Amino acid sequence: MIQFINTTLIGITAGSIYALMAIALVLVWRSTRVINFAQARMALLSTYFGYEAMVRTNSFWIALLVAMLGGGLFAAIIELVFMRFLLKRSASGPIASVAPIIATLGLYGVIRAVTASIWGGQELQIVAPVSNVGYSIGTETLVFSPLKLLILISVGVLVLLLSLLFQKTNIGLALRASAFSPEIASLSGIKVDLVRTLGWSLAGAVGAMAGMFQTVDGTGTFSPDSIGFTLLFVSGFIAAVIGGLESLVGAVIGGLLLGLVISFVLMYISSSLFFIAPFLVLLLVLFIRPQGIIGVKAARRA
Amino acid sequence: MHKLRSIHHFGLFVVFGFILFLASNRVDELRVYQGASVAVFVIAIASLILLTGYSGQVSVGQGALMALGAYGAAVVRNELHVPILLSFFVAVLVAAVGGALLGAAAARLSGPYLAGTTLALAIGIPPLANQFSILGGEQGLAFDVGNPPARLGEDFTQYKWFFWIAALAALISMWLLSNILRSRYGRNWRAGRSNEVAAQLSGINTGRSKILAFTLSAGIAGLAGALLSMTIGTVSPSAFTYNLSLMLLAGAFVSGVSTLSGVMIGAVVLVGIPEIADVVANRIGSSENISTNLPGFLNYALLILTVLFVPNGPVEQHHARQARKAAMKKIKSLPKPSMEGNT
Amino acid sequence: MKAMNRRKLISVSAVLAVASLAATAVPAQAAEVGVTSSEIKLGMTLPMTGSASLGYNKIPGAAKAYFDYLNANGGVNGRKITLIVKDDRYVPTEAVAKTNELILKDKVMALLAPLGTANVKAVASSVNPAKRGVPVLFVNTGFSGFADAKKYPTHYSILPSYQMEAKIMGKYIAENLAGKKIGLLYQDDDFGSDALAGFKTAGTTFAVKVPYASGSQSAATAAGWITKFKAAEVDVVILFGVTSASLYMLATAAALKYAPQWMIDSVGGDSTTLKLAGVPAGVLYNAIGFSPVPATTDLTDEYIKLFSEIYAKAVPGSAFDLNVLLGMNSAFMTAQALKAAGPNPTRNSLMAVLNTNGASLFNSALSPVGYSGTSHVGLTGEWVGKYSPTGDLLPIGGTYTTYITDSGAGAVVKSTYKRPAMPAKGLPN
Repeated sequence: MIQFINTTLIGITAGSIYALMAIALVLVWRSTRVINFAQARMALLSTYFGYEAMVRTNSFWIALLVAMLGGGLFAAIIELVFMRFLLKRSASGPIASVAPIIATLGLYGVIRAVTASIWGGQELQIVAPVSNVGYSIGTETLVFSPLKLLILISVGVLVLLLSLLFQKTNIGLALRASAFSPEIASLSGIKVDLVRTLGWSLAGAVGAMAGMFQTVDGTGTFSPDSIGFTLLFVSGFIAAVIGGLESLVGAVIGGLLLGLVISFVLMYISSSLFFIAPFLVLLLVLFIRPQGIIGVKAARRA
Repeated sequence: MHKLRSIHHFGLFVVFGFILFLASNRVDELRVYQGASVAVFVIAIASLILLTGYSGQVSVGQGALMALGAYGAAVVRNELHVPILLSFFVAVLVAAVGGALLGAAAARLSGPYLAGTTLALAIGIPPLANQFSILGGEQGLAFDVGNPPARLGEDFTQYKWFFWIAALAALISMWLLSNILRSRYGRNWRAGRSNEVAAQLSGINTGRSKILAFTLSAGIAGLAGALLSMTIGTVSPSAFTYNLSLMLLAGAFVSGVSTLSGVMIGAVVLVGIPEIADVVANRIGSSENISTNLPGFLNYALLILTVLFVPNGPVEQHHARQARKAAMKKIKSLPKPSMEGNT
Repeated sequence: MKAMNRRKLISVSAVLAVASLAATAVPAQAAEVGVTSSEIKLGMTLPMTGSASLGYNKIPGAAKAYFDYLNANGGVNGRKITLIVKDDRYVPTEAVAKTNELILKDKVMALLAPLGTANVKAVASSVNPAKRGVPVLFVNTGFSGFADAKKYPTHYSILPSYQMEAKIMGKYIAENLAGKKIGLLYQDDDFGSDALAGFKTAGTTFAVKVPYASGSQSAATAAGWITKFKAAEVDVVILFGVTSASLYMLATAAALKYAPQWMIDSVGGDSTTLKLAGVPAGVLYNAIGFSPVPATTDLTDEYIKLFSEIYAKAVPGSAFDLNVLLGMNSAFMTAQALKAAGPNPTRNSLMAVLNTNGASLFNSALSPVGYSGTSHVGLTGEWVGKYSPTGDLLPIGGTYTTYITDSGAGAVVKSTYKRPAMPAKGLPN
């Protein structure tokens, strides 16, 4: 019984980090129709920002804030300087879909190289703000700690805030309108370009949160080549696709689903299926719903 | 007219093959090996050009299909001791079957959903080698194409043999592929890519067409995979990471993903850039941190530059420029409209 | 029109291809490849970047630190040793390509410490150093196959194989932990299957065996491992994986208040690396560890003392850990072999030294290397230690007791080898 409970808890906490990355990817997709292959690397860079803040202030919360602000700013700069230029040049033809993938792929490598050049290859540490020691029930220890609870709560609050932003504010309306129909949005006075930058910026901040939490939830250390960040993008992307790429709630559901499935497969079937499980989940979901769990079917153009 | 065209193109390939044969006799062994690698990438990139450029299906998982082919060839060769040619056929077959299954599953997917699925495949397939001992695990399986036949002489190195096999395979498959792309099937793919509804309305079964594209593309990738294993003498999961799939996509992009003509450019870039990056990094030779990371930086920076400045691929760019020039010429040669007019 | 352009393009590509292929200079002939009157060039390929590079990317710096020290003290018979390092990112295709560059373009005399079984195998198969007569010294992997001198005539192992280590662990368990329930964490590839084979020879039985997919190590998967071990109620947990596996295992165990008797393999058990990566010293305390070389924190050992001083000067701020020690050790052995190869060393004379006198090379390890004409087995033993309250591995009972064995069915015995004193200043004499 305790094994079942723990497996569920493991799945949920891993899934919450996937969900954060998925949210970031969905934000980028919704605002610019691009899959940002460099999202996890940008999260890594933001984690370095957070580390620098941590070293100077010894406060995780300030470090998190700095990471999110830094990540958001960096993402905005990338969108402004790089993506805009790129998308103008490759707006048509068969390469239209491939170009952003290649461009963000290039970005991925460049950011990694620059990060490693500046900070070097060694492990750096970020200390968690609350304890990661599991709660006890009698003699059993749960795979759930104040830190993991904090992460879940943060994800929940984040989704809530973002949803409020999208649904209840003018900016949110502008974001949704620009994603849905850029021409009409600009006709009605929305500065579409600014809105796109905002989308990237939000994604950068969310990604930063994912990076910081993943680090402290693990061993507390990270480096340019940490295994965690390598898999973070893929897990986030798959989670986003499972959820449908169109809604934040979908991203969260996708993340949690992926986390749970992997956890149960590893515990009860075989740990060797770790790498093929995401593919099977994806295939299953997309077979039933090709647009993902909460995806919207593209409107008929006829 | 068509037959003439085909023969003419076949002739081109034969000529090119002869040039390569001459070249391989005169150059350094390192370059011969790189030539073999280029040939492998030519085939792999071509498979992507078919799938993504012509049929419009973005795949970030060609590496997994290459792995299928490679393992198919190695297992058949090691367990059944078949001749090399047959093992390559098996590679194509195994990968094609995989591609057909994948295509069927992915037929309803598009854009990012397809990309996500193929990426998940790229990550999931290679580690499966650890599950079945016949697949050799992390250490890998040996894949030995044997020594060059004795009658080619004592000095005929292993690498030259690899080059001949790979180059021949590349020439043959490129010739076949260019003919297929020019045929009805190629037109169907292009039609389906530009506007699926219109294609369906004009009688094309786009679903079947897409699956065919996947199958064919996978088979070609499988061949590339087997050849790649030939060049390193082993098949192991670490040779087919998802990074390979991403690099192939990048190579296809650099070649100009919608046309086969530039395929060599992408292949040469993929093989040559790491070495150039290393050389440049050594020249600059600064701190340990920088010199370790500089090659990676240059690799990816070049990718970005290509995307920004040659987004359609150098061949298309070249054609576009030619077309523009021709159009300008024609406009200039038009008779000037009389100023009186007909009013 | 289009055909014309296409033909033009193909011809241009062809010309470019041929031109670039032909643009390589023919090398000048030297006395021996990679050897001039003032320099000996060696080459190394290993993952410097990428997720497999953690920890290993310190090895080049370590080897160079020793070589620089050596060069500053006269080098080898008046020649400086230059180490050319190339990043293969743990991908066999890149290992082959980079090794080709080292041998065919940079023209190194020998290859030093290549890393990764799949990579070394690919290089052996494709580049074929054996056919080219290029020595491959001190292969950095625990795969026992490279010791087979018939199959790999120019390869020389150094690390004890995974089977050896598992057998030594099994012996320790049989002698000291009989009757306890044992659990094993292992990597689900050849690393793990070699270990299983060794344990089988040793007769160890497990209450539960938990494999992990290589590359899947994380806090979440570690929590899953622990859940399984807890369910099986084991007393002892053997960690037989890479550093990141023991890292996540120990860190997560602390969080989950799980504290069995740990037994950690040498690859994943370096205390410096583990502590720097976030494992609390308290978790390591009393764990059982193994190593073929002295503990990296044992400054009473003359090799450790000298090597850590050299390294601290060469790479200030970088911790002296197991990878650094092994890197410097291999560099040290290489220097001695080169010196013994004579005033005009050749590839063959270098290998002859190893084949005939390999066992007499000084090295920091506590078992001798077993090189001969028929076997290129490296180190054959490890000592057993326990981690101190500060998380450092120290020999049980205060003195190093080394157990030696082979990769096959041979027994595990206590070694009577007395490590000879280090040559003066750690330089080949």
